[in-house]
Amino acid sequence: MPMRKRGAGRLATMAGVGLASIGLLGGCAAGAPQSSGDEKTLNAIFLPAAWGTVVKEQLAPQYEEETGVKVNVELIARDAIHEKMATLFAGQDSSYDIFNLDYNWIPEFGQGGHLVPLDDVIEDKGDFLPLSLDVATWDGELLGIPQTVHPAVLWYNSALYSDAETMAAYQEASGKELAPPVTMEEWMEQVRFFHGRDFNGQTLSGWAAQAAKGFGNVHTWLSFAFSYDCKPFNEDFTESTLSTPECIEATKQWAEMMQYMPAGANELTYDNVTAAAQQGTIATAIQWSWGQFATDDPATSQTVGQWEIAEMPAGPGGTSSGHLAEWVISVSKYSENVEEAKKFAAWLETKENDVFQAKNGAGDPVRASSYDAPELLDEVLPDSDVPRFRRLETTLKAMATAQPRPLFPGEEIWETTLSTELSAISLGERSVEDGLARADEAENRNLSQ
Amino acid sequence: MTATLQSESGPRAAMPPGARRGTRRPRVGRFVVMSPGLLFLAALAIYPTIYSLVISLTKWRVTTGEAPEFIGLGNYGALLADPSFWNSVRVTLVFVAFSVLIEFLLAFGLALLFFRNFPGDKVMRALILMPMLVAPVVVGLLARFSLEPTFGVVNQLLRAVGLPTTEFLGSPALALPTLIAIDVWQWTPFLFLILLAAMQGLPEEVIEASKLDGASWPRIIWHQFLPLLKYAILVGVLLRLIDSFRVYDIVFMTTRGGPIDVTSTMSWQIYDVGFRSFTISYAAAYSWLLLILVLIVVNSLIRRMSVRE
Repeated sequence: MPMRKRGAGRLATMAGVGLASIGLLGGCAAGAPQSSGDEKTLNAIFLPAAWGTVVKEQLAPQYEEETGVKVNVELIARDAIHEKMATLFAGQDSSYDIFNLDYNWIPEFGQGGHLVPLDDVIEDKGDFLPLSLDVATWDGELLGIPQTVHPAVLWYNSALYSDAETMAAYQEASGKELAPPVTMEEWMEQVRFFHGRDFNGQTLSGWAAQAAKGFGNVHTWLSFAFSYDCKPFNEDFTESTLSTPECIEATKQWAEMMQYMPAGANELTYDNVTAAAQQGTIATAIQWSWGQFATDDPATSQTVGQWEIAEMPAGPGGTSSGHLAEWVISVSKYSENVEEAKKFAAWLETKENDVFQAKNGAGDPVRASSYDAPELLDEVLPDSDVPRFRRLETTLKAMATAQPRPLFPGEEIWETTLSTELSAISLGERSVEDGLARADEAENRNLSQ
Repeated sequence: MTATLQSESGPRAAMPPGARRGTRRPRVGRFVVMSPGLLFLAALAIYPTIYSLVISLTKWRVTTGEAPEFIGLGNYGALLADPSFWNSVRVTLVFVAFSVLIEFLLAFGLALLFFRNFPGDKVMRALILMPMLVAPVVVGLLARFSLEPTFGVVNQLLRAVGLPTTEFLGSPALALPTLIAIDVWQWTPFLFLILLAAMQGLPEEVIEASKLDGASWPRIIWHQFLPLLKYAILVGVLLRLIDSFRVYDIVFMTTRGGPIDVTSTMSWQIYDVGFRSFTISYAAAYSWLLLILVLIVVNSLIRRMSVRE
């Protein structure tokens, strides 16, 4: 073959390979919102919790049937959602239209201008629980439609609290009638009494709550802090104020109570606490309101119908305030289908769908009217007269006093930093005062960076 | 030999007909041929490395939507004044030193055991290698479930023999040793494989000669095996050192840096700073300091080995 022809052949081969590679890589590219003909497709990321599963398996297919708009739902763990959003937003990537957000990310992504305001898509804002909207708002704009709320509440095993032998023993030990605790002092007394007692063939721990380093111990600690009127920051988030007398007292109460948790307390996660409640190895717990649903599942629980909830025991100032958890639905500013995405987000939280999600175990409702919905209130557990949604009344009350995590863009760092010091305090490696002073120092360093 | 030398220095006419002369063309051709690989390397390694160095000299949190602001060595200064940085250096060095040392000692012992054939050695060798085949994330997950205080199988066994429940991952005293033990369990087979292969390549006559001279096995190991295996040991230990410095997956799956910060390795801290708070510039500076630390340790090891030679 002549030299020139061979060179031309090689060039053609290389061009062919190049074109094929471009084609292949193009095929592998993340699915940007596509529309082929009239068919529109939205891409969404949700948490793999019950509310994400319900959207993926039931509501998204239903929406496609009703509107012809296909919604691809990916279920991704909490930390991964946060990472994905930050990196996609940094690249102004339009691969995903809708995100399921933990509300504490709203200030962070709101400040960056990455989320689309959604004020115009909710017609009946008045029906939403006010706090649920407040925490989804940044700089006066609603950046997320509340999907589920769950304030931290006190769980207690009603079988234990109504057991004649236990009641008599408590009366004898304390001179008081056994009833769900209303104050921190009463709760501590009961926790001490229950810890190590045997009930239904199980040795009890006084209480349990999320306590693992990361966010778990911070979330539990916050319910103590709020009930003791502790404010972690000054008004404009320029100074950490964890060493105030209120915060020190709250932390002392929390740290002392950690001694009455099950073995391995410092590793306890939400799932561990639920499992302990299902097995009946704890007397009380601080846990999200909606989690009661899991204890009523006969497939996994030995305590079906036994767990009741009450508002957070009040601190010395009479304040009862649990820490609020909430997930919202937001639309990416970089979406190429913003209007369609907004419609879907709003549709997910119509009155009907709010009730539908709650009924399917997907968190507690975000609309006040859903708390009166007969579909929820009339449902009882199988073979019993125990209402499945017996928690709703207390949840609604708790929502009136619950408080969110500090709403500022550096919340994730704040949580991580504080978590380390709380871990040291609960393990007895540092005194409460020393731990909180170190936390203040580290948080102020973070704020200055 | 002489013939070869003569032919190499002989006249050019000795070249086969049609062969190319050593002009500049082949050199250009070499670069043309290598260019796709070089471009690939530049895109995937050189550019990101330089980019991360540049980013480390700025102040940049990606979620703010603001452009990076040049602050010179500000991040490095802040890191050197940050107690959590020094804690992570200490944790990393303890982790690396103990895990690699224990892995080496165990792997060397195992390799000696398997140096001579014995019945069932092939099956046992395969079994020993199995942990290495498991993904570190899976190892971390298995460890977390197995070591869980209430329901974990390890604690159930301990309780069955009358021992108390132990918080392997939740106790400040035990968490780091537990992570080291997990790493040793998974990566000893890697060093074992390298050392065994090297041992089996040793000249048999050296061993036989030592035996004939009346040397005991410990003397043979010390005076023959170790010097002859020096480069295999160096390669194996270096690879393990570099890998141990990067430990992240088992920390992520088990302790997440806790309890307190006793398992907060540098890689974990980089993740935490970079992907939880998204202070990418600070994380980039952290990464460069980790790279410098790795280079210092690896270089000093290579130098020590060279000096001994």
